[in-house]
Amino acid sequence: MSAVKASTALALVCGAGLCLAASSQARAETRGFVISWFATATDIPDYKVDCPLGRMDGQTEMNVRQLREIGYSQEQAVKIVADAGAQLGPDYRYRIDTNAQVKGKPASVFNYPDATADPNIETVTGPYAYGFDLGGKAASKFIDPETHQKIDNQLWRSVGCTESFHEAPPGKPYPEELSWNLMIDSAPAWTLQLSGKDLSHDGPVTITIDSATQHLERDANGNVLADYTYIVEPNSRSHNVLAGEIRDGVLTIKPKDIYLEGELPFYAEIALRGAHMRFKAEPNGTLVGYWGGYLNWRRFVYMYTARPANGADSIGLYHALKRFADSDPDPKTGQNRYISGTFRMEALPAYLARLDGTVIAPPVHNPGALQRVEPPHTDVKTVTN
Amino acid sequence: MKAIPIPRVRTWLARLLPLAALVPLQSAWSAPASPPPASSDASTPLALRLSPSQYRQSILDIFGPSVSITGTFEPETRVQGLLAIGARQSNVSDSGLESYDDIARGIADQVVDQKHRATYVGCTPRDPKASDDACARSFFSRVGPLLYRRPLTPDEIEARVRAAAVASGDVHDFYGGLSLSLAEMLISPQFLFRYKMYEPDPAHPGGERLDAYSKASELSFFLWNTSPDQELLNAAATGAIQTPAGLEQQVNRLISSPRVTEGVRAFFGDMLGYSDFDTVAKDPSFFPRYTLNVKDESQEQTLRTIVDHLVTRHGDYRDLFTTPHTFLTRALAVLYGVPLVDPSDNGQPQRWIPYTYAPGDPRSGILSEASFTALFSPSGRTSPTGRGKALREYILCEKVPPPPGNVSFKFVEDTTNPQFKTARARLTAHRSEPMCAGCHKLTDPIGLALENFNSAGGYRTDENGVAIDATGEMNGHQFVGSVGLGNTVHDDPATTSCVARKAFAFETGYMPPGSDPQWQQIMQKFSASHYNFVELMRQIALSDLSYEPQGPAALTASN
Amino acid sequence: MKPSTLIWTRRRVLRGMLAGGTVAVGLPILDCMLNDNGTALADTGAPLPTRFATWFWPLGLGEEDWRPKNAGTDYELPPQLAVLSPFKKKLNLFSGSQVFLDGQSNNTHFTGVQGFMTGTVSNSGEYFNSMNCIIGDVIGGRTRFRSLEVGCDGDSKDSWTARASGRLPAEVSPTALYTRIFGPEFVDPNSSTFVPDPQVMARRSVLSGVADERASLVKRLDAADRQRLDYYFTALRSLEQKLDIQLQKPQPLPACTKPNAPAKDDGHPVQLCSDAMARHDAFTNLLTLALACGQTRSVNLGITQGMSGLRKEGDPTNHHTYTHEEPIDPKAGYQLNCAWFQEQYMKALVDWANQLEAIKEGDRTLLDRTVLFAYTDHGAARLHSVHNYPFLTFGSGNGRLKTGLHIPKPGDAASRVTFTLMLAMGVPISAFGTGSNRVTTPISEVLA
Repeated sequence: MSAVKASTALALVCGAGLCLAASSQARAETRGFVISWFATATDIPDYKVDCPLGRMDGQTEMNVRQLREIGYSQEQAVKIVADAGAQLGPDYRYRIDTNAQVKGKPASVFNYPDATADPNIETVTGPYAYGFDLGGKAASKFIDPETHQKIDNQLWRSVGCTESFHEAPPGKPYPEELSWNLMIDSAPAWTLQLSGKDLSHDGPVTITIDSATQHLERDANGNVLADYTYIVEPNSRSHNVLAGEIRDGVLTIKPKDIYLEGELPFYAEIALRGAHMRFKAEPNGTLVGYWGGYLNWRRFVYMYTARPANGADSIGLYHALKRFADSDPDPKTGQNRYISGTFRMEALPAYLARLDGTVIAPPVHNPGALQRVEPPHTDVKTVTN
Repeated sequence: MKAIPIPRVRTWLARLLPLAALVPLQSAWSAPASPPPASSDASTPLALRLSPSQYRQSILDIFGPSVSITGTFEPETRVQGLLAIGARQSNVSDSGLESYDDIARGIADQVVDQKHRATYVGCTPRDPKASDDACARSFFSRVGPLLYRRPLTPDEIEARVRAAAVASGDVHDFYGGLSLSLAEMLISPQFLFRYKMYEPDPAHPGGERLDAYSKASELSFFLWNTSPDQELLNAAATGAIQTPAGLEQQVNRLISSPRVTEGVRAFFGDMLGYSDFDTVAKDPSFFPRYTLNVKDESQEQTLRTIVDHLVTRHGDYRDLFTTPHTFLTRALAVLYGVPLVDPSDNGQPQRWIPYTYAPGDPRSGILSEASFTALFSPSGRTSPTGRGKALREYILCEKVPPPPGNVSFKFVEDTTNPQFKTARARLTAHRSEPMCAGCHKLTDPIGLALENFNSAGGYRTDENGVAIDATGEMNGHQFVGSVGLGNTVHDDPATTSCVARKAFAFETGYMPPGSDPQWQQIMQKFSASHYNFVELMRQIALSDLSYEPQGPAALTASN
Repeated sequence: MKPSTLIWTRRRVLRGMLAGGTVAVGLPILDCMLNDNGTALADTGAPLPTRFATWFWPLGLGEEDWRPKNAGTDYELPPQLAVLSPFKKKLNLFSGSQVFLDGQSNNTHFTGVQGFMTGTVSNSGEYFNSMNCIIGDVIGGRTRFRSLEVGCDGDSKDSWTARASGRLPAEVSPTALYTRIFGPEFVDPNSSTFVPDPQVMARRSVLSGVADERASLVKRLDAADRQRLDYYFTALRSLEQKLDIQLQKPQPLPACTKPNAPAKDDGHPVQLCSDAMARHDAFTNLLTLALACGQTRSVNLGITQGMSGLRKEGDPTNHHTYTHEEPIDPKAGYQLNCAWFQEQYMKALVDWANQLEAIKEGDRTLLDRTVLFAYTDHGAARLHSVHNYPFLTFGSGNGRLKTGLHIPKPGDAASRVTFTLMLAMGVPISAFGTGSNRVTTPISEVLA
């Protein structure tokens, strides 16, 4: 929680506006960013409060449970796991993974999760989660540790007791960390433009999110580079224009559906219905904040069922998400198809340009970059050889 | 600007194949200028060890780009600012020969492997499990002259054939034996060293000149950074290269080829000290933008700028220190803090994009680029002394004396000394010591003008919270920043004389005798050409001075 | 909400890899393999060989403050060398001696070493025939490598080993060194079977062809280049000898264990002291086992060149800059940051001594059969001083040196230390050095 406090303090120091460098002239400005960190928003101030049963302590516990599901006694299961060490043998794993029953025959639990018994994993009973009030039921509300508002985040309720979600930034839930690191060196980056009359003062702003034509680039430490130049994909499916406002240093938007095209093995897409957003700017210009809304829980859980055994009980998560889904009931079955959830993101200052070479959004002042009051060459045109 | 077209160059060997099939073996080398007779009265010959890039380029030209070279070459020696001069002193150590042997066997194995043998061996043994002298002989007759850069005597060829036969017997494999015999050619001193052999000069009775094959090698390594091609060897064989017209024809041919960029790049890579990049590392926690790619690309940036300015645009050498025109990749642009739009598709290699520093940009000219500012800086802090010394020694051919021993550092003995926050403050304190002041005043005021560039070559406006003062001074001229420094270097007469002397030494292995009228003529023509560097290369390549034995004047100049 | 800053430096990766690497673990030579006294191999009667190792650390130990008051065995190690105390009885500390410049300029970080390693000081930067090379050739015997040189910061110039042909480059990559020593060409001396490799036989026979070229070449060259050609052919003979040795069944050496390959390290340049020390440990592990496995008898390690660019993590100022800019701490009496670097180096030296000590060869340890000579570029580096050099030796070299002594030689020629070591190692010379650095008598109190 210390990170949250620090950030609040910064907002106070900066006062009104987004804490971004002041523009020297009172004219509209557009600043460029590239999304450099993205994952499910986690909150683990006290695991014992969140998950008092302590049933989800990790791989060992999961292995024992899964062995019991295929017929072993608790005692037998504990011994098998103790003998096997970190990894269960392939024979056990095969039997566990084919424990679904389809037309009376064993089948892959990952392909037929509905034909697999719900292992009934522990879910979050504690009070806190990041998010926004999406208008959900009062009984299932969490409290956002930053805004202290009552918010909806049934995604967190479903996944929050699973060990791999016991991560706090800069860490990400393990499967997301793994996928993100595989993806960012090849998948097109997501760009973010912030436009307003004067981003150093409160007032209305426009946020435009797009895909870039190229992937993220890393620095010598393996982190994402700031101030890199990205071209905004002209006809991207990920084009989102959002009306927003800066008030007391916090940027929020008018709720709207958003869509970002993703790439496996990370999320195939980031699609939120009625999305809310909330950002602040760090002194170095990095935007840090949350997106919340309703998302298709089957698509979310696909990341886990498609890559089983990444520190999470895929089938357990599947059933928990299905159970807690809180929006968009299927007219035939009544099963909710969407679930409230929240993502955390960071965006680093970057140059954004059009394919023709025009720079449309320079980065904000960044102590790591060339230190100039105004970014140079905002209309520089380059021709390739 | 248009990229320099790089034609698909067939390997020397591939060009030679049809020729060798038609021409009897002897005619290739039984020409007037056969290997020089063993003469005890010949002038001091010189043996220059091939540089790693000359080795690589020669193998690439002889055997083609699909033969890869893996291994570490013995380090080179820099003398008077050039590895090309140090090549005269470079020897082969135990571990160096082990490395050459590993590299050679790696190359030879590829030349005879299934993929390449049809192209490069050129004949099929009667029995692949046994020796075949005829096939081995035809192979070495073709490859030998290209590797040794002169015809081989029949004895030399027979020695290779015998070695192949013995080895084939040991390993029960024709190609295995051929490969080992070839590998031994590649570690022979006749391949690893370029020997400058002299012969009597008929035009100057009593005088001497470089013999025809040595001259062919010298020209080829100077202008193309590689072993002579067949045409050049033919010009040596016929003796044409020893006539003014024949020499001019070859020089013009080599210079008008796009491959002259290889010679220009090799020369400036040597002159600007790029071999020292092997030991450059920057602290990623201070300089996260200085990635390994940036390290490589910063050298390429300057070499591209040089080739574009000097070869493509026929520009004035002095303008290299002031030109706003350069090339960037996106990664370098991040280091420099400027945008660079590269419309390459996702996943494609970064492209080099022409870039012009805007008016008012702190950068212009090659001294403001990371290839200079980062190369001559320690890994954490900058060293204005190191940068100033490098400029004097590498660019102006001046010698900066080493620091004295048993020096007193009074200012650091004062334990109440203020924290020196900037390099200027530290060095000013340092220069308060008279023992140090003499030399530091030669170097520091130059380097201090570059203090806006941090140790990794990125731009900064302050050091430890104190604004940087980038005023500088060189030889009485005051200026500000790298732009001012570039203008001063541009106007310094040492700039042009230094590059000319080093170009001469890059060809010959020694500095030119400055007082020699032939040298003065070369300098006059360089000046008259508005310091056109390619023209300078032509004049050096055409001058008799380059092919005379190193006279006493040159010897003095070297010391 | 802090932005993410996962720092994955190469240093961490390197350190992580080293943690998974192997450490030299010696096995005792089985007594049945030895003669009754445990001093020689039983089957051949050949005495267990004497080895010589050198270890260069940059930038000295500071000013006068490190010099112990007492001479002989009854002395106290100074704070800068306190980490060496476990080996106090097996080491000697030489203090006080100097290099005479004789009117030549002090080419900083070079001339001093030139003076005591080659015996001659010259302005020209010549550096030939260093004492470690001379010793290596005398004690070398028939081993695969006449000597092995390594450097720990990625610079192949970290080498003070020189033959008549010039300095030998340092290997910078532990991976490459491993392949060179223990790669496919390594013949395990303790293997019960031995089959000569036909490929090596073929290489050996072909090599003589190169040697045959000598005659035709040499007559076309003048004296200077003839000599350079001879250097080449000397290297060629070493290569031939290496192949010859590979074609013979090696003498069993039970103290030899082939190490696992070290963590992959291409020898890229490093600038943090911790990275250089991690690589140091990887190197000393390989060098120790190269000695134990009879691959060479002469090994040489340099941490950096004299003007060290190594830094402490998070600190932009390097060791060399600190020597000149750091005030002497009035309480401690020395430069604190510089002392930090010295301590890192000395810890690494102790690590190596421990590796050598851990290998038992009969009645002694490998360290006992070795002389490990540690030297540096300046007396007081702050002043570029060539006075009061600290030198250390570890081990007795099969009983040829006494140990446990502090030997102060104020004002004496530093070349006397190196001359003494040469005599101890059996180099048949009666004098060493030129000018004021010429010495004809050894430091007799350390000769056993």
